[in-house]
Amino acid sequence: MAALQDILQEFHRIAASPQEQMKHYLAQNKKIVVCSPVYTPEEVIHSMGLLPFGTWGTDMEIKEAKAYFPAFICSVMQSILELGIKGAFDGASAIVIPSLCDSLKCLGQNWKYAVPGIEFVPMTYPQNRNTTYGKEFTKAGYQRVIADLERITGETFEDEKLHKSIEIYNAHNQAMREFSEYAKNYSVITAADRNAVFKSAFFLEKSEHTALINQLLEALKETELADVKKIRIVTSGILADAKELLAILNDNNIQVVADDIAQESRQYRVDCPIAATALDRLAEKFATMNNCSVLYDVNKGRASYLTELVQENKADGIIYALTKFCDPEEFDYVVVKKICEEKEIPLLLIEVDRQMVNYEQVRTAVQTFSEMLG
Amino acid sequence: MGEEAKPKYIPDPNSAKAKLGKIAKEHYDNLWIAKEKGEMIGWCASNFPQEIFQTLGLTVCYPENQAAAIAARGGGGRLCEVAEGEGYSNDICAYARISIAYSQVKDIEEQNMPQPDYLLCCNNICNCMIKWYENLAKELNIPMILIDIPFNPDYKVSKEEIAYVKGQFLDAIRQLEEITGKKWSDEKFEEIMKISNRTSKAWLEATSFCKYNPSPLNGFDLMNHMAVAVCARGTVEAAEAFELLAKEYEESVKNGTSTFRAEEKHRIMFEGIACWPHLRFTATELKSRGINLVATIYADAFGFIYDDFDGLIEAYCNVPNAINLEHARDKRTAIVKNNKVEGLLVHVNRSCKLWSGFMYEMSRQIAEECNVPLSTFDGDQADPRNFSEAQYETRVQALTEIMEANKGVR
Repeated sequence: MAALQDILQEFHRIAASPQEQMKHYLAQNKKIVVCSPVYTPEEVIHSMGLLPFGTWGTDMEIKEAKAYFPAFICSVMQSILELGIKGAFDGASAIVIPSLCDSLKCLGQNWKYAVPGIEFVPMTYPQNRNTTYGKEFTKAGYQRVIADLERITGETFEDEKLHKSIEIYNAHNQAMREFSEYAKNYSVITAADRNAVFKSAFFLEKSEHTALINQLLEALKETELADVKKIRIVTSGILADAKELLAILNDNNIQVVADDIAQESRQYRVDCPIAATALDRLAEKFATMNNCSVLYDVNKGRASYLTELVQENKADGIIYALTKFCDPEEFDYVVVKKICEEKEIPLLLIEVDRQMVNYEQVRTAVQTFSEMLG
Repeated sequence: MGEEAKPKYIPDPNSAKAKLGKIAKEHYDNLWIAKEKGEMIGWCASNFPQEIFQTLGLTVCYPENQAAAIAARGGGGRLCEVAEGEGYSNDICAYARISIAYSQVKDIEEQNMPQPDYLLCCNNICNCMIKWYENLAKELNIPMILIDIPFNPDYKVSKEEIAYVKGQFLDAIRQLEEITGKKWSDEKFEEIMKISNRTSKAWLEATSFCKYNPSPLNGFDLMNHMAVAVCARGTVEAAEAFELLAKEYEESVKNGTSTFRAEEKHRIMFEGIACWPHLRFTATELKSRGINLVATIYADAFGFIYDDFDGLIEAYCNVPNAINLEHARDKRTAIVKNNKVEGLLVHVNRSCKLWSGFMYEMSRQIAEECNVPLSTFDGDQADPRNFSEAQYETRVQALTEIMEANKGVR
């Protein structure tokens, strides 16, 4: 048990100290490429001998970024820019920002002027992605990232190396899925623990993170399942990593049994399949990705996917953590709400924001929800 | 109370204004005629390549135009609240909220249009369009065609982007043939491209008269005429009406007349979509200070000039909201310089994250490059609740004072 707690503490330490992690890698003469949400092709960056370093912003007061963004742009974008302006990514060689939502498009444009010391590398994805021309365009996007990174860092790209990185990332995906599957039944894994495991993945080289996950899985396998009745919840949204929110879930006896969070499991659902070249493998992966608010889906499959998650994991309900001002998520919520009403699945909407300081409204809502389910 | 009702103003039926008004009205009338005849009706994004459905002879209408009309006639708040009642956040684009609400309410006094049988979406103006149309397609259980034109981080459109959009263009034709039973004709496509170019040239020609000092037109006229540039670009009638409009402006320049019914003391660029629910107030506040709107990126937004199929695709990739900051800035800087603009009034539009999301930086760069003052105000294209008359008045006053001071210096 001590070992388990030690390993969990290590995840918490990494998740809470991205800047120390950056320093650690820079001290090893690693060249760091910051990866903005969402679906930045980390495999490509990794294969070039660079260290992909993820950011989803942080909970903070926004000051400098206000000169670039109006108040109604989501706080994920605002805080990434704020961190950049304040030097949190100093030492990084570049930042890759995909443009899968309108606010991400603006983040890239603002970045060029707000943080001129760290070059902006755009990643342009297609929405009609599972077509021959869509996959070609995805590959063109990767090639653009490669060309920019070669110019900026002096490193080079080789398809063979990308194959190797893809295997590292596929193995990591598998480990993350396995962790989620295991963690749902262990009441010892709190919502905060679960989040730390996911969040830390952005600040560690992936094979290192996989090794740590495997240690955790081994420790879990040796841990007895406690006979504790918990409220089993599926979470959905862009992110649910605020300390206060995670504590509220814990205080209300909630076990996160699965998630549809962009920062968490959405990253790890799809592996790269076999294809002619390594870049084709990546493009094929993107082509088959789905059930996400920033990926076009005329069938709105995410809603039924969520209900399947509830059934498969014997969940009692869904908490939809809506990142304020995220319109893709706001649109999807209505469809999710409707299907939950049809299938009589309890659904709680809570609004989260990286600038939020008062969680009392969230506390009351979660408390009422858990009392209803409990 | 002894007040006599003002006689309703009826423009000369041979004037461009009357002809444009007639086209806009007939657009809606023809929709109902088509619906009654059993034709399928499409709802279409404003910057979807209209050459596709014009060639196929399909009847489509424009939820964005309808939402603007509803908002201008006072129904925006009511319909936004209907959507909010369904669970839509009040942070979502008000056009989308109004349109989704209308698809449920179906009959309103401000502006009706037939319900759709299919949807034509294009995200070259924003990705919000995708989510809006996805939800309509799901709710109404009808097919949706998306032509995805990604935001271009580079100045020039790449050959890869052209190939990607072309692939979708051809797929869209095939899908629409299947949905509607109509057949594609290359000859008709050539003809439609010619007419669309003619209309676009005439539209750009008409809007170019803003460069004259004083301008022969009140710039707010363009926001009204734009509806025809959206809904009838592929028709000879629209081309002729815009050609006539250009001629009228040419005459006005010669005669020293203008549709701006005040002394033109200051010339500004208005950035962003109009605040439709507060159009009268926003326009009057400017007019009362002798401020004429002589520049708007809208002129460019619906002026699609091209030589061939690839050129057509490139034009749709280059619409104002699909281009990077530098390209967007340079387009505006050219307009500001060419039209002798003396100040920028920037609408920070709550409904439009993409248009507003890098507007601060871009506006600063334009103001610096052109050496003109800049003032911003908070508003919304269609939700009347997101606008403050007092703030607008203060910001316009501040801009006026700087422009006056500059005139004293220059």
